[in-house]
Amino acid sequence: MTLLADILTLLLNGLQQGAIYVLLAVGLSIILGTLKFVNFAHGALYLVGAYLGLFITTEVPLTNGQLAEWGIQSYGIGLGFIAALVIVPIVVFVIGLLMEKFVAQAFYSRPDTDQILVTFGLAIIVQETLRAMLGGNSQPFQQPSWASGPIALPIIGNFPRWRLGVIAITAVLVLGVYLLVEYTDFGLIVQAGTLDGEMVRLLGIKLSRPYLVVFGIGAALAGVAGVVGGPLANVNPNIGTEQLVPAFLTVVIGGVGKIEGAVVAGLMLGTLQVALIQTGNAAWSQVGIYALAAVILLVRPQGLLGSEVDVS
Amino acid sequence: MTVLETERLTKQFGGLTAVDEVDLAIEQGEGVSLIGPNGAGKSTFINLVTRRLDPSYGEILFKGDSIVGMEPHQVVQLGMSKSFQTASIFPELTVEENAVIAALAAEHGSFRFNFFRHENAYPEVTRVADEVLKSVGLYDERESQADSLDYGNKRRLEIGIALAAEPDMLLMDEPTAGMSPEETKSTVELIKEVKRELDLTFLLVEHDMEIVFDISDRIVVLNRGAVIAEGTPEEVQNDPAVQEAYLGGVEE
Amino acid sequence: MSDEPRDATATATADAENEVSGGLADQWASFRDREISTVLLTLVAVAVFPFLFNNYLDGYTQLATLMLIYGIFAIGFDILLGYTGLLSFGHAVFFGGAAYAAGIFSASVSSSPLLVLLAGLVFAVLMAWIVGFLSLRRGGIYFAILTLTFGQMSFYLAASPLAFLTNGENGFTSVDIGHLLGVVDLHGGVPFPLSMLVDNMVYVFVAVITVLSVAMANRILHSPYGTVFRAIRENESRAEFVGLNVWRYKLMAFIISAAFAGIAGSLFAIEGSYVPLESLYWTESGRIVIMTVLGGVGSLFGPLFGAGLYLYIENIVSGFPTLGPFWHLILGLVFVVMVVLFPDGIWGGVQYVRSRLFGGEES
Repeated sequence: MTLLADILTLLLNGLQQGAIYVLLAVGLSIILGTLKFVNFAHGALYLVGAYLGLFITTEVPLTNGQLAEWGIQSYGIGLGFIAALVIVPIVVFVIGLLMEKFVAQAFYSRPDTDQILVTFGLAIIVQETLRAMLGGNSQPFQQPSWASGPIALPIIGNFPRWRLGVIAITAVLVLGVYLLVEYTDFGLIVQAGTLDGEMVRLLGIKLSRPYLVVFGIGAALAGVAGVVGGPLANVNPNIGTEQLVPAFLTVVIGGVGKIEGAVVAGLMLGTLQVALIQTGNAAWSQVGIYALAAVILLVRPQGLLGSEVDVS
Repeated sequence: MTVLETERLTKQFGGLTAVDEVDLAIEQGEGVSLIGPNGAGKSTFINLVTRRLDPSYGEILFKGDSIVGMEPHQVVQLGMSKSFQTASIFPELTVEENAVIAALAAEHGSFRFNFFRHENAYPEVTRVADEVLKSVGLYDERESQADSLDYGNKRRLEIGIALAAEPDMLLMDEPTAGMSPEETKSTVELIKEVKRELDLTFLLVEHDMEIVFDISDRIVVLNRGAVIAEGTPEEVQNDPAVQEAYLGGVEE
Repeated sequence: MSDEPRDATATATADAENEVSGGLADQWASFRDREISTVLLTLVAVAVFPFLFNNYLDGYTQLATLMLIYGIFAIGFDILLGYTGLLSFGHAVFFGGAAYAAGIFSASVSSSPLLVLLAGLVFAVLMAWIVGFLSLRRGGIYFAILTLTFGQMSFYLAASPLAFLTNGENGFTSVDIGHLLGVVDLHGGVPFPLSMLVDNMVYVFVAVITVLSVAMANRILHSPYGTVFRAIRENESRAEFVGLNVWRYKLMAFIISAAFAGIAGSLFAIEGSYVPLESLYWTESGRIVIMTVLGGVGSLFGPLFGAGLYLYIENIVSGFPTLGPFWHLILGLVFVVMVVLFPDGIWGGVQYVRSRLFGGEES
């Protein structure tokens, strides 16, 4: 009884921990797979999502940062969490479109190294703008009242309601993107572009529009991740870069461009991390995910579900 | 002596067989051309021989020894050079430096532990590099950035880089692709010249039939990954199977 | 001034126009001269730097010391990024790792500064051999991500499981630095003639190592490796197909760059007698990327300049009343502008202007 409960709790916690990685990784992965663009600013989109979520949900007092010095005492419009969940992805989607148009496009033909450098620089700009304006301190992001507190589950017993919420929201969003890519004409073009962009172009299909949309969707997912991930921990300017590294690992473990791969990899990393914590090895929980990633990449460089062809 | 020999060489990509049990032998001093319609498996064959791709099965012998399982640079060090389809040079380095890199590989082998020796301690490298540049007629351009050469000269530099190692065999993947008629002519002359002077064995992949018939001793025709004909230019030209598969549609 | 080996080659070969045999001796002599002049120039620069920096730029000697330390780090990083074209996001492993190795060595084996330096260097080289061996199996983004992975792994290892060695989140505080060669107190004052230039012995020590590092880097870039590295950056597959073992040369570039990071990390521990845990965090790896790119990739002195500029903005500009709070943001903006518009960095821009003004060769 207790063993089963422990295992189920572990899996649920792992799902929840992995869910954020998955949300970030799916966007990162389709952008990398389809557009061959390495976006080190993906964590910054998560960061923007979290702060924007905070802004829409409640009213946050300002204690330090430039805005406070200029006499502004708080920010936020207090529309509540559901509003944030709807508005944030739309806004970040538009940010994604702008990023594709004004940054990514100029770098498609430049080496990966330059793409990494410029997006890394962008990430710093976003992070430091937020830090300078709103201050570097952590802001608590309240869970929505309808989802706070525990819920009684069979076998497991009490489980935080919000964690279930995170799992559910992630599942719905990722499934939606998966269906979009697998079963629509848009998805077909995206898939074909992933395999051979040159060939698709030769067939007379313009890729600029789908590329724009792919970037937007990827960005929107990162924004949502910020909103659902925010209430799990505090919000501060460093959370973007902190999430970026595991998100990238999730992508390469799962296989670039593979949504299923990102899901499997994210859940693996999340479960491993939670398992190490629950078994009293918290000290190893971070080391563990990096070690697992290193081992998988060395044994299977194309990632768990990546295909051999992608490697060359 | 047989320089290059393949036995039942095969490469499959998923369900597609790109190269299908090809047996080929090239003798010392022979100039062989590999022709065939698009998608016949010519590039895949070259990539197998230069060890860019692993064969699904079959054997590749270079000067009698198996080279399956070797790295590309090892095969080059054994004496098989490659000239690429596009002018594959080091664009931001000078023409001289391009040649120096090839000369370094030729003189020092694939790797040396000499990062504290000044490059001027190796006059023989400079000598080889200069010889290479003279042989392809680019000595006077040696201080220009390689990027600034016109396309024909880039190709000449590329062939020079491939020849710096004094290879026993040269693989050329469409050496005149994208060249003007004059450039093509001078490149063909260059190939003939090095073949005569160095007694070079070569394997040429080429679309331009005029060139193929001009410089080959023997022609091998691939179609759908398999050899369908083989012989002197005259024999191949008159082979009905070849005309059927290839020349019939394209002959000009 | 000296920089850009390709200029050197071009001019020297131009001088030795006529007979190849007779010209070679001259060529060699002129190269020797250039190597010596590079070293002398660096020597003069590091000698007068603290005086100028402290008196005219609101600087202080400790910051000047740090600038040189990070300069060494950046010079090595540029051998990897600028010359070989490989972007590592895990060089904190070698910098911070060497700092820890040096610190722990000083506390438990020997406090002799030269041995401490050597300990950090050896540790960095060994780590680079392992990390490079594993990360270089894949190119492009995988290399960046794998180095990042190993970097984060070592950060979290030092933070917690290895806290009994590293003192965890508090950083390593027991660094114990003895007298140099048993006589010179590194944290003491400077004897008379030198004291006109600088007030601190650590600076002198770091400056000497800096000059040696510049000489080493200069020699490496003028060895066959310099040419091979640039060949790999320009066209990796062609380099493989002229018969070069690209993989082993890349590994060497990685190890060489880590050796410089190791020297810098050891000096960092010696200078501050303290190793913060953050020295292993990936932002440290990011810092060295920014410094190198700001100064200018693919040149010898650019990264040194970039390191100085970064630390100047971080420590001096951050104190300005108006711009101060935005120093990090300013760095980010300048960095992005550099990547987009001036890939050769500030040093590249200086070179360009100079060649325009004085009609020097452009290459």
